[in-house]
Amino acid sequence: MLSRSYYWLVLTLSIPAFLWLVPTIWMVSLSFQPNEVLARTTSSTFLGLVPIPFTAENYAALFAFGQTPMWFLNSIVVALGMTLGVLAVSTTAGYALARLDFPFKTPIAVLCLIGLMVPEQAVFIPLYTMFSDFGWHNSYHALILPRMAVPIGVFLMLQFFKAIPKDIEEAARLEGVSWIQIFWHVMLPLARPAMMTLAILTFLYAWNDYLWPLVSAQQRDYFTITLGLASIQSNFAQSEGLGRVMASGVIASLPVVILFLIFQRYVVQAMTAGGSKG
Amino acid sequence: MPKAKSPLRRLNETQSAYLLLLPFLLTYGLFLIYPFFRGVWISLHDWNLLQVAFNPDAKKFVGFENYVRVMWGRNIEWSPWARPVLQALGLLGIAAAVTLNRTRRLTGATGIALGLAGVALFLIAGVYAGEEGRWFDRRFWPTVGNTVLFVALTVPGVTISALLIAAALNRETRAMGLLRTLFFLSQVLSVTVVTLIWQIMFSPRQGLIANITELSGGSPITWLTDERFAMAAIVIATIWWSLGIAMILFLAGLQDISKDLFEAGALDNCTGIRAFWYITLPNLKRTITLVIILQIILHFQVFGQSHLMTQGGPNDETQVLVRYIYQTAFRDSELGRASAMAVFLFVIMGAFSIVQFLVGREEKD
Repeated sequence: MLSRSYYWLVLTLSIPAFLWLVPTIWMVSLSFQPNEVLARTTSSTFLGLVPIPFTAENYAALFAFGQTPMWFLNSIVVALGMTLGVLAVSTTAGYALARLDFPFKTPIAVLCLIGLMVPEQAVFIPLYTMFSDFGWHNSYHALILPRMAVPIGVFLMLQFFKAIPKDIEEAARLEGVSWIQIFWHVMLPLARPAMMTLAILTFLYAWNDYLWPLVSAQQRDYFTITLGLASIQSNFAQSEGLGRVMASGVIASLPVVILFLIFQRYVVQAMTAGGSKG
Repeated sequence: MPKAKSPLRRLNETQSAYLLLLPFLLTYGLFLIYPFFRGVWISLHDWNLLQVAFNPDAKKFVGFENYVRVMWGRNIEWSPWARPVLQALGLLGIAAAVTLNRTRRLTGATGIALGLAGVALFLIAGVYAGEEGRWFDRRFWPTVGNTVLFVALTVPGVTISALLIAAALNRETRAMGLLRTLFFLSQVLSVTVVTLIWQIMFSPRQGLIANITELSGGSPITWLTDERFAMAAIVIATIWWSLGIAMILFLAGLQDISKDLFEAGALDNCTGIRAFWYITLPNLKRTITLVIILQIILHFQVFGQSHLMTQGGPNDETQVLVRYIYQTAFRDSELGRASAMAVFLFVIMGAFSIVQFLVGREEKD
């Protein structure tokens, strides 16, 4: 039963919702306008919110020269690598802590819990010196490894595995199936939704991470798209033209926005889980 | 199931557990636990990034000197009226915590947290450099102050707007779902996209805001380079960016409030704003507390907005703690001092994490 006041509410709320979207629309619109026009004015049609005069040249230029495509690929490699790595270490450790009994279980769990308190900003300097000693900077693994140590994924998986009924496992044990096989053949297939949530959380984090790549990747060849975008935005008006920088911004946002629109439910779950637990 | 004769099959429970834990514990120990202690260790040294890179012996153990050089000064004094407004605010916080706790409007952990915050504000704001005294590092405490100001503006801004929007959108219809998506979309963007958008939004020559001001006959504000507006500008960008997660957490909290309460309230003519005030808010107290603490932790670590939009300027007005750590370490090469600040940051974040943990646990039962 949808009353008249409901339609008024939707209509009233549409205004702030649209205003909330305006900055994003503006970025997209500017990316489709010619740089010569933008140098003169950014409010050609409807304050510049509609891309008239229209051009796709900014995107063509982006792919023809410049480093944006390479940065984009770097981001894909780093984000996928980090996602796989986090899934691997989190599912195994989460399962062991949730379902198995072993000596020193509680101290290990507490030790992991304490790690949730350590912010990235508190360890990025020692990490930098360590990776310097190893000669690891400007590489993919330097960008991937530190995030694999963050225990949030372990706790997400631990909570999920804890909720699974015990008898599934016991039946398998009676047939003499080993713990590792139970993990691989029984538990992992059950854990798909939780793994999906964790994967999206990790991918979003990896794609948007800024501080660690800024410190570790000094060669432009190893920039992620997030870092590359930061490096071209300080002097956008002079060097590359506003339209092209905005096109880079759109390209940099495309994967996460698409991911969000397709897997909205998981993204919301991931953000809620990641948010409420640090 | 395959009956492989692999050695994995013969592992007992303990062996299996440790085998499964091994990959995580290795990365965890190597890239989080060890760096953490190494950070503390670096903070006890006079450690120049470039010199140590060329000669590992170029560091010198100096004990707590870095902490003193960062946080202390000559002739530092304390008085109960050094900064009367802030200190009165601190006393007010203590008083509020005590009264609210007495009247049972606030529960244990939240009350204690508020009380401790009041005590801390009263004590810290009373410290000042006395006659002929000076701070060894003139920028550190103002930087902390800017960070606190940023948090103090952003967190209420996000919390209040997210709460109102969530309460209005708390219906499972398609239109409401679409509106939620629109409000949430900016949350998935990276910090560099957000700063890119808002730098040009705020630009006095090309910005959308300037274009609108000019249309209505005003003269554009140089948001990012004006001391009065720079902090406001990065706060606005941050609220726009991070409203989504708070909204989602509130929506999750709202789901837990029984519909019966609202129906019972409707019988007593308690609808709309009155229902929000008398039914929604009291039942959402735990979620609100958690969202606030979560955001304090999140926004205290602000870096990108300040680094990219204002470069900490103008005149250090938007310099924040993480950016100062970053600059001290990688521009000034003073790893020892930067690490001391990072330990300071960790202590503050750790305190809030403990509060978060306690509040989250306490009221679940």
